[in-house]
Amino acid sequence: MNTVSGRIDGVVGEFADLDGREKLELLLDFAARLPALPPEYAARKGSEDRRVHECQTPVFLWPDVQGGVTRLYAEVAPEAPTVKGFVAILADVVEGRPVDEVLSIGDDLLERMGLAHVLGILRTRGLRAIVGHIKRGVLAASTTPHGTPPP
Amino acid sequence: MAEYTNPDVLVSTDWVTEHLHDSHVRIVESNEDRALYTQGHVPGAVEIDWQVDLQDQVRRDYVDRASFEKLCLANGISNDTTVVFYGDRNNWWACYALWVFKLYGHKDCRIMNGGRKKWQLEGRAWSNERVHVQPGHYTAPEQDGSIRAFRDEVLKHQRAGRPLVDVRSPEEYCGDRLHMPDYPNEGALRGGHIPGAVNIPWPLSVNEDGTFKPAKELEKLYVNSAKLKRRSPTIAYCRIGERSSLTWFVLTYLLGFAKVKNYDGSWMEWGNCVGVPVVKGTTPDGAPAAHS
Repeated sequence: MNTVSGRIDGVVGEFADLDGREKLELLLDFAARLPALPPEYAARKGSEDRRVHECQTPVFLWPDVQGGVTRLYAEVAPEAPTVKGFVAILADVVEGRPVDEVLSIGDDLLERMGLAHVLGILRTRGLRAIVGHIKRGVLAASTTPHGTPPP
Repeated sequence: MAEYTNPDVLVSTDWVTEHLHDSHVRIVESNEDRALYTQGHVPGAVEIDWQVDLQDQVRRDYVDRASFEKLCLANGISNDTTVVFYGDRNNWWACYALWVFKLYGHKDCRIMNGGRKKWQLEGRAWSNERVHVQPGHYTAPEQDGSIRAFRDEVLKHQRAGRPLVDVRSPEEYCGDRLHMPDYPNEGALRGGHIPGAVNIPWPLSVNEDGTFKPAKELEKLYVNSAKLKRRSPTIAYCRIGERSSLTWFVLTYLLGFAKVKNYDGSWMEWGNCVGVPVVKGTTPDGAPAAHS
């Protein structure tokens, strides 16, 4: 199923049966695949409040909605590969899907991937905040006329 | 003061390179981001994680003695092993791990000065191979209460007017924000600081390359400016006790303070306690700063 929830099931399946170390290695593979921020977004980094303040390292997110479908542009500092990998997974999962599917992403994603106990309580909470951040961004983007929330 | 009080507690990246195959030495990485170790670590280094390995997963406390012994065994650490900690973020988690090892009385603990940052800047080799170690032999004593402060003791200490160091950012200290810039708010109900605490943000102790500042500069910062005294019992705190471990390390080993405790309950306990004194503002007693 090529829906958000179907893609999540796929990711959860990829992480299943891996030990802690292998889960982190897979997360690093995802991190390496996060596309670079397109230049037009990179140029807006300084002028728009796109930094996720829940994250300690610089994380910039542009959850965008055009024509009813979602796309997530992101930039995460290399010193935070865990965050980068998780954001890359979320970008894959929401790509081209409608807003209501994105809003249905559950709070238990990290538990289902088996990452919560590898990362510990505080890190898991920090990453979960990113999911909330993306959902809020997508909702805001979907309710503005040009698909982009005001700065 | 031209030299650190205990210069041996810091080892250089060169020293570590020379001791990579020394069976009496165990290199330990402790990070904010766990995947960094997986990505690449100092060859032969093991990882001890502050959240998953050193903290109890149910109670808000450190692992008990038996679990600590097991952790050391699994990581090839024996009672007489020289344990060298390093990590990301200017070694603050490395200092935190070192502090927990000292809680359990581990004798020979050091920090690789500069941590991951310096190792990277110098272009040294990283390894992403799984590390297999020979199990150690370990017997730990009960926790050493002389380096850990609990809430009631902090309250008595504060009432007696004894020195406290708040190592958080100026914004957290004055009560404008409840968590460090760009860090998750883990839920303190009140903002501000413990009355009497001086604010010396922890990054002031480190250089751009992640190494500690020279003895002279640290002396100027903590002794000359902040008027902390080497013989006075001193308590350091931050948000959850991690940044203050670095300050505890600086005061204890680099400046030779005799009785420093880390209050690991820190603001995530104090800022939620009913009835404890709290002040806001930029001065220790919360009075508006004097303008000349």
